[in-house]
Amino acid sequence: MARESNIVKIVGKENFQRLRSLRCLIVGAGGIGSELLKDCILMGFGEIHIVDLDTIDLSNLNRQFLFRHRDIKQPKSTTAVKAVQHFNNSKLIPYQGNIMDTVQFPLRWFDQFDIIFNGLDNLAARRYVNKIAQFISKPLLESGTSGFDGYIQPIIPGETECFDCTKKETPKTFPVCTIRSTPSQPVHCIVWAKNFLFNQLFNEETSSVDETSTDWGTENKEEIERIRQETNELHELRQIILSRSEEHIKDILTKLFVKDIEKLLRIDNLWKTRTKPAVLAQSLIEDASQAVMSEAQSLSSLWDIREQIIQFFAITKKLMQRVHNGETNIEFDKDDEDTLLFVATAANIRSHIFNIPMKTVFDIKQIAGNIIPAIATTNAIIAGLSTLTALRVLNLLPYEPTKKSTDLNMAFTAKASNLSKDRYITNPKLAPPNPSCPVGGKVCRGVIKITQEGLNEIKLSKLITIIRQKYQYPEEISVVDTNNQRLLADFDFDDLMERTLSQVNLHDGSVILFSDEEGTAEATYRKSLELYIEVIDGSLEGGIRLPDVEVPTIAVPQNIADIDHAEKKQEKSINDESVIDVDFDEKSEAPCAKRRAPEKAPENALKRVRKDEEYVDGLIELD
Amino acid sequence: MASVPDSRKNEQLSEEEIALYDRQIRLWGMAAQARMRSARVLLINLGSIGTEITKNVVLSGLGSLTILDNQRVTEEDLSSQFFVGQSDVGSYRLDAARSRVLEMNPRVQINFDTDSFESKEMSYFSGFDLVLGTQMSRDGMIRLNKITRHYGIPLYMAGCNGLFAYIFIDLIQFDAEERKLKSSNATSLGKTSANTEIVGVEDQRQEEGETKYYEIITTRNYFKTFEDVLRTASLAGKLNRRQMKRVSSAVPLTFALFSNKQCQTSGELKREALLACQQLQIPESVLKDSYVEQFFEQAGVEFSPVAAIIGGAVAQDVINILGKRQAPLNNFVVLDGITLDMPILEV
Repeated sequence: MARESNIVKIVGKENFQRLRSLRCLIVGAGGIGSELLKDCILMGFGEIHIVDLDTIDLSNLNRQFLFRHRDIKQPKSTTAVKAVQHFNNSKLIPYQGNIMDTVQFPLRWFDQFDIIFNGLDNLAARRYVNKIAQFISKPLLESGTSGFDGYIQPIIPGETECFDCTKKETPKTFPVCTIRSTPSQPVHCIVWAKNFLFNQLFNEETSSVDETSTDWGTENKEEIERIRQETNELHELRQIILSRSEEHIKDILTKLFVKDIEKLLRIDNLWKTRTKPAVLAQSLIEDASQAVMSEAQSLSSLWDIREQIIQFFAITKKLMQRVHNGETNIEFDKDDEDTLLFVATAANIRSHIFNIPMKTVFDIKQIAGNIIPAIATTNAIIAGLSTLTALRVLNLLPYEPTKKSTDLNMAFTAKASNLSKDRYITNPKLAPPNPSCPVGGKVCRGVIKITQEGLNEIKLSKLITIIRQKYQYPEEISVVDTNNQRLLADFDFDDLMERTLSQVNLHDGSVILFSDEEGTAEATYRKSLELYIEVIDGSLEGGIRLPDVEVPTIAVPQNIADIDHAEKKQEKSINDESVIDVDFDEKSEAPCAKRRAPEKAPENALKRVRKDEEYVDGLIELD
Repeated sequence: MASVPDSRKNEQLSEEEIALYDRQIRLWGMAAQARMRSARVLLINLGSIGTEITKNVVLSGLGSLTILDNQRVTEEDLSSQFFVGQSDVGSYRLDAARSRVLEMNPRVQINFDTDSFESKEMSYFSGFDLVLGTQMSRDGMIRLNKITRHYGIPLYMAGCNGLFAYIFIDLIQFDAEERKLKSSNATSLGKTSANTEIVGVEDQRQEEGETKYYEIITTRNYFKTFEDVLRTASLAGKLNRRQMKRVSSAVPLTFALFSNKQCQTSGELKREALLACQQLQIPESVLKDSYVEQFFEQAGVEFSPVAAIIGGAVAQDVINILGKRQAPLNNFVVLDGITLDMPILEV
């Protein structure tokens, strides 16, 4: 029997020939991506392109099965392709690069694919690929995992919900006063040590606070004044670091954990319903300053307060040395052990003072670095579901022809996520596009082809005129460059009208949004139009060609800028307590595994989301 | 009761192991990771599902894995197994896979055995803590389960039929512990489903900045042998009416393929499936002709995405019970690869 005989039994001879001629794109060569690559090869896709910008790290090896210890620091995409050679039977093309790079991956490059698989770890790239898929109307298999949780979502542009049709969780933030005055959980102390203290002492570039946008989370004037004063005083501590006077490390400890706490204690209002913090005993500081460094401590065991202070001395000395050696600005990096140890010991000493349990360095690394657990099994299951579903998306199952896209299923891990006891997977059918989704529902979409000369010669006013004529927009319109949310023109802004398109910084890969700001006497509006600017070689009549798309009129105005604005307002009110952004760095393979409650278990799903919120930031995307 | 000896349980993980397994230790903890390192597991058959299971458990840092497989690589294997390639056709699967399996994780002790399952004496199996049988015949499954019962060894068996697949689980008896926040209604002892019973509830108080009250609930899972399942499997009283109507055709058809009869036509397979509907006490109307045709054509067919899902689910549950984390699968799982339905049935 031949190699393909098994697959032919599943898809039939004809469809197998089709499969062999298909070209797919896998975005990401990490946990899900390496599984997708293996499945796509074995299934028999004709040509597989795989993109990743990352290099291989030791902590990848527990699940990214194509990588070995010797591959650490090598690019993921090319290494993955080398590792599959012995079982490969497809044409493979790896790329090291950022999928959002419009120079390396212009729109026309995406156009060659029959289907796109996402194996991404961050929200921005997910949104971007989703938008591209909508522009070129190609099916996208979106997927993600986080620990035991995983999901897949097939996206058929125009026919089913897109990635942005449902709201995604936003970064978790804390009010200033919780972080600076009244911490009650380990995470509060970790955020204080990492985002505030560390930057004040070691990174001048990020230490300034923009107070105009600050939500203090308190009305207490006395407290706000104290916080301001405290920040100013910390500049003095920065001087200690810069002057490299090791004998003054004691002063840093005394300032942070004795004097500042004493001041805090004087604000009676704060302690009416809270347990008062207890200043750090001066004797502990003295004792630790004399102590000889004990031998290396295990990062996964819990140190007592004395050990925390001894380690704080040691690591502060080490960081001072680094500053002295020319690193005037050090950035926190969870994999830079010096910075991690500083943040961990400072956070723990503060926790100790506030009667909050201390944590191991191992645990603090997870919170400060926003490390998302990731395992081989969930990635294998999710990639399997994704490639299996691709057969239906591409209509390759002879017994189960896909009649309409909303008959297709998405899938969530149910048993492993504790959402169900009697289903391993929940599989709700796909929903049609959300009519109020700014990406999938609210706008029409097309690609403007333009030559480089066109870009250099055509003025913005001319572009607006021809768009207005072709799609019958009224006089009052607005034009926004969506790549950076920049207004190019509207009824009271015409400064840029006589500039050329290249002068207003439109280029290959720019996306502009054209909106009706006037409406008709019957209060109907022309739908907004999103246009991708694709620069092509060769010549075009007039240097530019607009796409042939129908732009209907609708009953409500569709100005995206307004919608964005309204949404931001809404988010603001939801997160009203939130101001300090926890700008953690590691990205999740799943920003939104829980973003939608699977059918039949809405209550559980809801509970689960709450539980995850308690679990600090495990599932929350923090770009 | 099935249990895992803890010879190396108390040995601490090295800093290097912690760094390597970082992303999973953060999920199941150091203790579970250390317990996994002490487990001795037997895998029968390195087919598509066996390949996926091997990848998953070796990466995750199992103690030792023995793979028993006497087959030689065929052309067909190349479309569903990634440890073998074109140049390996004709050689033993294990010889082809050996170096590729070993280099995935040098910390795992891996043994390769090219004898046949049939040739192994019963005593061979006594040295394992857990047995995984993949893509075995009905008779092989019955024999293997008799052996694991004899020694009190937990057993998983899985197989696939093209777009469809199943997992059978026999852990004999297994106590799962779960901790949850205490609600106003205390959890009571007693049966919670056909195969599970709460046998212990303990209160726990914990200071986490504020005081929280938890319940530690011990749920005992009972299992049946494979032979017993074939003889007595029923869904009567286990599903509500709506669920009954929505049972996937894949369920009766999976049982139909376990039948003693070798079906020569799809009509014969349909008859067997109707008998399975009767035994399971599910309406015959769930059986779709298109599924009968597909099962008939795809019986025993291996397919990479399906193997990935089933191999992932088996490995995850193996890791779960070795780490003693949460309730195990109990006791029959069916995958319908068309709708992505994957019910866990207590049959």
